[in-house]
Amino acid sequence: MSRALAAAAAGLLLVAAPLLTSNTFVQHLLIMTLFAALLGAAWNLLGGYAGQVSFGHATFLGLGAYTTMLLHLRLGLSPWLALIAGGLLAALMAVPFGWICFRLRGPYFSLATLAVAEITRLVVLNWESLTAGPMGLLITTLPALTIFGKPVNWESKVPFYYVILILAALVTLATWRISRARLGAYLLAIREDMDSAEAAGIDTVRTRVLALALSAFFVGTAGGFYAIYFRYIDPDAVFAIALSVEMVFVPVVGGIATTFGPIVGAVFLTTLGEVFRDRFQSGHLIFYGFFMMIVIRFLPDGIWGRVRTLLVRRRAPNV
Amino acid sequence: MPLLRAIALTKDFGGLRAVSSLSFDLHAGEILGLIGPNGAGKTTAFNLIAGFIPATSGDVLLDGLSVLGLKPHAVVKRGIARTFQIVKPFRKLPVLENVTLAAFLHEPQRDRAEAQARRWLAFAGLEAQAERFASDLTLGEQKRLEIARALATKPRILLLDEPMGGLNPAEVDEACALVERIRAGGVSVILVEHHMKAIMRISDRVVVLHHGVKIGDAPPAEIVQNRDVIAAYLGEVAHA
Repeated sequence: MSRALAAAAAGLLLVAAPLLTSNTFVQHLLIMTLFAALLGAAWNLLGGYAGQVSFGHATFLGLGAYTTMLLHLRLGLSPWLALIAGGLLAALMAVPFGWICFRLRGPYFSLATLAVAEITRLVVLNWESLTAGPMGLLITTLPALTIFGKPVNWESKVPFYYVILILAALVTLATWRISRARLGAYLLAIREDMDSAEAAGIDTVRTRVLALALSAFFVGTAGGFYAIYFRYIDPDAVFAIALSVEMVFVPVVGGIATTFGPIVGAVFLTTLGEVFRDRFQSGHLIFYGFFMMIVIRFLPDGIWGRVRTLLVRRRAPNV
Repeated sequence: MPLLRAIALTKDFGGLRAVSSLSFDLHAGEILGLIGPNGAGKTTAFNLIAGFIPATSGDVLLDGLSVLGLKPHAVVKRGIARTFQIVKPFRKLPVLENVTLAAFLHEPQRDRAEAQARRWLAFAGLEAQAERFASDLTLGEQKRLEIARALATKPRILLLDEPMGGLNPAEVDEACALVERIRAGGVSVILVEHHMKAIMRISDRVVVLHHGVKIGDAPPAEIVQNRDVIAAYLGEVAHA
C-alpha cells in the first residue's frame, strides 16, 4: 500500500516537474536526466541483467538518430513516427551486431562491441551521399502538431520533457515486467554461467539477441529523441564513444540489474556532472572520474542496489 | 532399439585423438557406468553427446534420430540432460531459482515452474536449502543441486559427470541412492565416476575407455575380471 502511494507521488511529481519552474536550464537538466535514465535502463537490459557488457551502444543511438532525421528530411515522415522507426531499425541492426559479437565471451565481447561501434561511425561519416558526412543533418523547423485542440509550442522545452518522460517510463516498465518473467530469469542465468544456462535448456544465443534487440530499440528511440530535441546531428555527436561509456556509468552508479537503478544513477550523474562543470571550468571530468571510483569502490551494487539491500534488511531483520 | 546409440564417435584435438571410434548402446531404464583412467576421454564423450563440442566424426542417435550437431540447449529439449564434473551452479542465485530456471523449459508460468522446482529439490534432498544462495552450499549439496537442475528439464537420459567426486563416504551412499531413485523414476543414466566401489554397485553395465578407445563393455562382475581393463588401470606389469 505504502509502495503504491510512493509510486503515485513519484509519478505525480514527474508529471508536474517541468511546470514547477520556468527556468529553461533546469527544464533542460530534467530532460537530460530522463535521457540518461532511458539510455542507462536500455543498456541495463543487456549489460546488467544478461551481464553482456557492451561498450558500443552508441551505435544504436546513432542509427536511431540518423534514421529519424533521414526519414523526416528525405521522406517527410512525421518526426515522431520516424523516432519509432529509428528504434525499430536499431533493433533490427541488433541481429548482425549480435551475430558478430556474441561469438565472443566476457571482455572479448566488450571489445568487439567497441570495434563494431567505431566501424559504424566511420561508415556513417564517409557515406556522404546519404548522411552528409561530417556536415551533419539539420532540422530547421518542426512540423506543427495539435494536441487536445491546442498547438504544441516547439520553442518551449516542456513538450520535449513529456516525450522523454514517456520513453523513460516505457523502458522502466519493460524492465520491471521482464525482471519478473521467464526472460528476466534467463538473462540472469546467462550472466551467471553460459554453459549451465545451455545445460538448463536455455537458447543462450537467441536470448542474448532478444535482449540486445530490446535494448537497441530503446536506445534507438533515444537517438531519435536526440535528433528532434537538438535538431542537429553529426557522426561525432551521436556515435561518440563517450555516449557508449555514459550508458555503462548510469546503471553502474545507480545499481546494475535493478529496475530503478538507472533512474537513480541518471539523477546523480547528470546533476553532479553539471555541478562539477559549473565549479571547475577546466578539469571537471577529473572530479567526475573520482566520483565514479568512489562509487565502484564503496558501492559495488550501486546507490539504488545498496538502498534496496538496506530496505530488505529492515523489513526482515533476522535474515 | 536402444534408447541411445553412439556410433564410431570420434574427436580429435589437434593431433590428439581424445575419443576414438567409440560405439555403445544405452537401453531404457539402464544405469551405464563409464570408467577409465584420467584423460581416457570420458568427459569428452559427454561433451560430444550433449552438444558442447562438435564431433570429428561418428553419430549419436536418440530413438534412432541423430542429435549430433545440435546446440546443447536443443539436446536438452530432446531429452538428454547433463551435470558438470566441476560444478557450475548459478552461484549468485537462490537454490530454488537454480532449479526453476530449468523447469521453465516446459513451464513458462513462474509459480508452476517454482512448484515443480520444489518437488525436484525434495527429490534431491535439498528442500531445506531452497532459499539459500547456491554459493553457500557444500560441494555435495552443489552436486545434488546440479542433478535437481538437470532433472527439472524432464530428461529421458541423464549424463552424470563424477557426481561422487570429492564426497565423503556417507555422501557417496546418498548419491548412489539418488541415482537409483532417478532410474526408478524412469530416467536412464550414464555415469562417469572414479569411485569404483560405487560404480560397480549401481551400474547394470560398465564401459571402459583407455586413451579414447573402448576396451571393455560388460556387466560389472565381468569387467573386474577383464585382463585389458586390469592392465589399463594397474599397468602392464600387473599381468606379466
